[in-house]
This record gives sequence, C-alpha cells and structure tokens, in this order.
Amino acid sequence: MAELSDASFPKFAAGCRWGGTAEAPVVLFPEGAIRVEGTGRIILELCDGHFSLAEIVQKLETQFILAPKGKIRADVLTFLEQLHAKRIIDY
Amino acid sequence: MANPLALIAEITHRCPLHCVYCSNPLELTSRQEELATADWLRVFGEASALGVLHLHLTGGEPLARADLAEMIAGARKSRLYSNLITSGIGLSRERLAQLVEAGLDHIQISFQDSSEGQANWIAGARSHAHKLELAGWIRSHRIAFTVNLVVHRQNIEHLEEMIAALEGLHPDRMEIAHAQYYGWALQNRSALLPTRAQLDRAVAVVAAAEERLRGKVRIDSVIPDYHARYPKACMGGWGRQLMLIDPAGRALPCHAAGVIPGLHFDNVREHTLDWIWQNSGAFQKFRGEDWMPEPCRSCDRRKEDFGGCRCQAFLLTGDASATDPVCELAPLHHLIEDAVREDAVTSSAPEFREAPFHVLQEKMAGFWSYRTDPKR
Repeated sequence: MAELSDASFPKFAAGCRWGGTAEAPVVLFPEGAIRVEGTGRIILELCDGHFSLAEIVQKLETQFILAPKGKIRADVLTFLEQLHAKRIIDY
Repeated sequence: MANPLALIAEITHRCPLHCVYCSNPLELTSRQEELATADWLRVFGEASALGVLHLHLTGGEPLARADLAEMIAGARKSRLYSNLITSGIGLSRERLAQLVEAGLDHIQISFQDSSEGQANWIAGARSHAHKLELAGWIRSHRIAFTVNLVVHRQNIEHLEEMIAALEGLHPDRMEIAHAQYYGWALQNRSALLPTRAQLDRAVAVVAAAEERLRGKVRIDSVIPDYHARYPKACMGGWGRQLMLIDPAGRALPCHAAGVIPGLHFDNVREHTLDWIWQNSGAFQKFRGEDWMPEPCRSCDRRKEDFGGCRCQAFLLTGDASATDPVCELAPLHHLIEDAVREDAVTSSAPEFREAPFHVLQEKMAGFWSYRTDPKR
C-alpha cells in the first residue's frame, strides 16, 4: 500500500465521485456509496488533488482550534487510509 | 418504505457469448420487444427522482444496443452512477472512448478462465484474446475497472492462475463470484457445482490474494450458497433495495423472479417507476415478513437474510414461500445436501485443458447446454 505523507496529494480514485443531492451528498464508487457528513465531508471536499495532506490538516486545525494537538492529523490519516484500502481515495 | 438504491437495466438479451452459467432466463426477450431509447431515458430520470444512485447496464450484451452511449449520457444527466457490465466483445477503442465521453463511471469485464481454449469453451465463443487487449485501452481512461471471474467446477482449480493473470491487467477491483444456480447455470448445475474440498481451497486462494493485493486491488468475493450454512440476503431483501427492468420493460424484484408462477410484472411502458415500487404486486409479494413460514418467522436471522432467495426456494422446492433450502434450518435442506453430493460425482474438468476451443467443444459435446440467443 502506498504511504500517506504530508507531501501526498489525496484525490478521488478513478470512477469515484460526488453524487446525491446538495443537502445529502454521497461519494459514489463501484458497487457502493457512502453518505458523508460533518468533518468527513469537509476532508473529502479538500481531496481534489490540489491540496497536500499537510495543507488539509492545517485547514482543519484552523477550523477546529480546540482539538488536541496532533489529533486532527491522526484522524485524517486514519480516515484517508481506510478509503484508500477501499480504492476510493488515491495519493 | 425505503427507496431503491440501484437499478439493474437489462437493456437487451442479445449476446455474442453463450456462457453456460448465464443468469438470464431460459426464455429470452427478442429484439422487437426491446424498449426504445426514449423509454430508457425516462426510466433513468424516474429512478434518480426515486433516490436510485447506481445504474447497472447489463444484458445480454449491452454493447449490442447501438444507442448505448446515448443511454450513458442520459444516465449521467439524471445524475446516476453508470456501471457497464460487459463481455467487451465488439468494443473498439473508439467506441470505448465515446462511452467514457458520454459519462461512463465504471466498466466491468467478465473472464471465464486463464487459458484461451478453456475460457472460450466456457463462453461458447472466441472472446478471451480481445478482452486482454481491451483491458489495456480501459486503463488509458479515468474510469473504474473491475474484472469479474465467475467460478465453478470447470475453472476453480485454476483460480490462483486466473487471479495472477488478471492482476497484470491492473484493475481497481476484482469480483470473484461463484456461479449462482438460476437460469442456464441451474440447467448445467451438475457440471458447475464445486465440491466442498475445491471450495475450501478456493477460499484460501482468495484470502491470500486479498492480503497480497491490499490497497492495490479491492477484492469482493461471493461464496456459492449451496455450501453455506445460511442463505444469502438475496438482492438485499425482496423489494428493499433493487429494481431490475428487463429488455421489454417489465420491472422485476430480481433477475430470476420470472420463474415464480402467478407474479405479474408491471411494465415501465404503462407505469412510472415510483408507482411500480410502491404498488406493483410483484414487489409487494415477499416484501417484509408477513409471507414468512417457520422457521424464518421466529428466527433472529430473518432481518439479516430475509429468509433467503425466493426464486431458489421455488426452483428447488416448488414453493416460492418456503424457507430457502440452503438454510441448514430449512425443512427441505436435504435437497441441497443431495445436490452437493450427487452433482459432485459428475465428471470434472476435462483433461484437454490446453486444447484449442474447437477440439474442446467437439470432445465435450453434450457435456452442458450453452445459452442460446433470443428468437428473432
């Protein structure tokens, strides 16, 4: 499995994209869909290939200033690695 | 009532292949009866409004429809995720580019075996070499690519080899699906059902491949239910998640539902999809739990497997309301035990594995029945 690092640029894998409606967006992929809300949605909206992992973490840290140091990075890493194993996110 | 999540569009029953495990009904729909493009586009719009997310374009061979690109464009316009389930036969590099341009999200190509002669023997047509070339073209586009292996007694011993060969095509996903015994596969069951020992080895092969390919290829595997303790949650429950429209526009709760006597399938030419989902008698027949006999009715697993498959219950017991005989708790479970025992004694894989297609067909004449083509 590829290593996810600060310099990685996470993006949707081929054949994965947004769907559903503006009120209830889903990520569509072969044979499945996940409803994403809250932080998950914020993270995935940043996974357009333009932001590095470091930049994504930084943006979230600005937004959630009360989160303990390091927690956001760890959470984002786990979330993206899970989606990578499902072949939804590439980096 | 929840809304359906996926629409399976069997857009034609015409097909250049004659696979012995085909899940299509034995009575195929002719070209003249097929729905027109405009009907399909309307159905896709209705599906999306009903909450459907995924559209599976299948057949027969969906490429047999000249208006396929138009349908994909219509699906995209209706915000559906489109998946093309195809043999790839007749798909040129140019036509593939057109389908991608129209908005195709995912393509799924089935493979019959790892060696050319044997793969063609199972498909009843020369097709294997073209599929390998097609895989290369697919990877030049940004769409998802699944390779599908249908596993049965005639190829199960080559599973490791098949996985290794298909890995080299760089798919995103590999679907390793044991044949399910409906339609043509049921007709040919005695040549297709693997033995327990074969299945156990295959399960170990798949587990090793999953481990090795983690993060590279997603593997989804389907175990043959004849060897399971409990039945499969067929279609995620009757009338709960899926709708299938056949080439003539009839709406079915699943691929095989046409075998159940007394069901009337409403047609999209006469009703909206929403109306059918809510009101069609065929969808209501086994929805929920009221129809369930014992032991299902009081079983804790009824919310997981919904009593199993209604079509299989009918095909094997003659009663569509019976507990799926696959279940070890089913009163008629012995039907499955007998099948596993009896079918396993029929002759196994031919010894002329490396023989060319025509030699195999000649030597194995009468071994099984190939899927036919719809009547003109």
